[in-house]
Amino acid sequence: MSDGNGGILKAVDLHKVYELGKDNLVHALRGASLTVRRGEMLAIMGPSGSGKSTIMHIMGCLDRPDRGEVWLDGHRVDNLKSGALNQVRSRDIGFIFQGFNLIPTFTATENVALAGEYAGLARRQAKAAAVKALRDIGLGDRLDHKPSELSGGQQQRVAIARALVNGPHIVLGDEPTGDLDTATSQEIIEMMRQINTDTGTSFVLVTHNPDVADACDRKVCMRDGLVTEEEVCT
Amino acid sequence: MRTFRNVFRRKFRAFLTIFGITIGIFALVVMGSLAEKITLMVNGGTRFYADKVTLSQGANGGFSSSPISVDTIPRIQALDGVQLASASVGFTLNKDQGASFGMPDLVEGNDLRGRDLESFKLTYAQGRELEPTDEDKAVVGADMVKKLNARIGGTINVRGRDFTVVGILDKTLTVPDTTVDIPFKDAQSIFYNDLPDLVKSHLDPSKLATTLTIYPKPGVDPNQLAKEISDKYPEYNVIGPAKFQEQVTNSTRIFTAIVFGVALISLLVGGLSVINTMTMSVFERTREVGIRKSLGASDGRIVRQFLAESALIGALGGVTGLVLGWLLVMAANAAGASSGIQIFLLTPRLAVGSVGFAVLLGVVSGLYPSWHAARLNPVTALRYE
Repeated sequence: MSDGNGGILKAVDLHKVYELGKDNLVHALRGASLTVRRGEMLAIMGPSGSGKSTIMHIMGCLDRPDRGEVWLDGHRVDNLKSGALNQVRSRDIGFIFQGFNLIPTFTATENVALAGEYAGLARRQAKAAAVKALRDIGLGDRLDHKPSELSGGQQQRVAIARALVNGPHIVLGDEPTGDLDTATSQEIIEMMRQINTDTGTSFVLVTHNPDVADACDRKVCMRDGLVTEEEVCT
Repeated sequence: MRTFRNVFRRKFRAFLTIFGITIGIFALVVMGSLAEKITLMVNGGTRFYADKVTLSQGANGGFSSSPISVDTIPRIQALDGVQLASASVGFTLNKDQGASFGMPDLVEGNDLRGRDLESFKLTYAQGRELEPTDEDKAVVGADMVKKLNARIGGTINVRGRDFTVVGILDKTLTVPDTTVDIPFKDAQSIFYNDLPDLVKSHLDPSKLATTLTIYPKPGVDPNQLAKEISDKYPEYNVIGPAKFQEQVTNSTRIFTAIVFGVALISLLVGGLSVINTMTMSVFERTREVGIRKSLGASDGRIVRQFLAESALIGALGGVTGLVLGWLLVMAANAAGASSGIQIFLLTPRLAVGSVGFAVLLGVVSGLYPSWHAARLNPVTALRYE
């Protein structure tokens, strides 16, 4: 089922039910399928509770589907053992989150280097890679700053550097501009666009922000646990 | 370094937890030093009594001061397996000395007949040994020097009589350290003078002895010999090396158990506080665990990270406790030096063992919290506020 032409990441008929309590089952995904093309920027929009985050988590190997398949670069990944799954997460996929999710006690360099270390780099190599990634993203003068000493935009740039440091096939973003003001959001969107153009890294961005969606090559809409191709998505 | 920062993220809490371990290790070090000193004295004593048999009056109690007659010597020496028996008179330096910690201060006069057979060779820091012809001369044990303000050529007072110091012993870590040696005849007469009049009237001072030291012939088992003598003379208290060991081991075992029991209880409390701290820490950092997992951290790595932190807490508490305990032990020994009472001995094995134990305690206490952290579902952990 290798799909070199179109799909770097592919979700096939995903089902996921969360049990929030006794007799309270939430059908987050009801057969969602989605193909992310190689090198594209894809926006996933949709109302709250439509399953956007769930599909992103499952496609990013952070969670497993109850049913269905996930294929990454021609390899099936949803059924991998947890060790192999860790490797996929560390080497092939980068994550960007709404709340930046940096480790507060670590400097910018250490935060980025951690991703390198988990991907198997020695500490010194990981640090060198982190410094390079931060310089590439314009944070060369903030290497030893802790998250609390950085602005929101700078923190998100550190998170982007962390997502990119291992040269992943694909970066998944969960509301990457959610905590940023309009000007900073624009800056981050342009930065991701630039990286996409320069490196060919695919981006999948779950977002409510129409500016983000407009900057993407394509957008899909999620509704009631299914992916649709509607133009208007609220 | 990162582990260090993580531990001190909550400085006050980290300090309190480390302080809990510190108290436990402090107790272990101080109590342990006490136990080590006792063990050392016991071992020294065991060496001291290694290859001979001692005989004293009375069927119970090791060091009876009731007199024996030197006339017993020829009868003992006539026994098979006995090479020589030598007599000595021993008594406490202070007439009214009651029970005390460790070795009491002793005065001993030995007839010196067994000098060449003695395997426990004494060495002299200064001066010379006593000779059979000496009168009113004394050799002073290492711990007695300060206590009696003794110096070569000076005089010391033993139960009202002055003696000229001719020799000072090197430290032996056992009986001789707290002993003043005087000539046999002088010891006999002092001992005699201090006896009640009623007892005196039946005794000849020149025949008095409190202990006979019996040297076996080469190749004869001293324990076997002790048993034979004991069977033949049941009225005497006969102690061979094995029996001596047994006596002291029994009396120190309970003490050592209590000492370590107290220390272990305080460490249990310290360990519980580490578990509490690490559990809190894991809960507070649930999101961080989610981040690390999203970056591809394996369960093992998460476990190792938190275990390293709890081990560090243990190590810091252990080292601090060791330093504080060491200071107290040094201070107490320095204070006791003038009176010759040094009751603590901090051995390398105790020092290393205490810190090692603290680290182990940290690791064991961190097991559950670390395992809990590693099992977190990354998605749930990332959502955690």
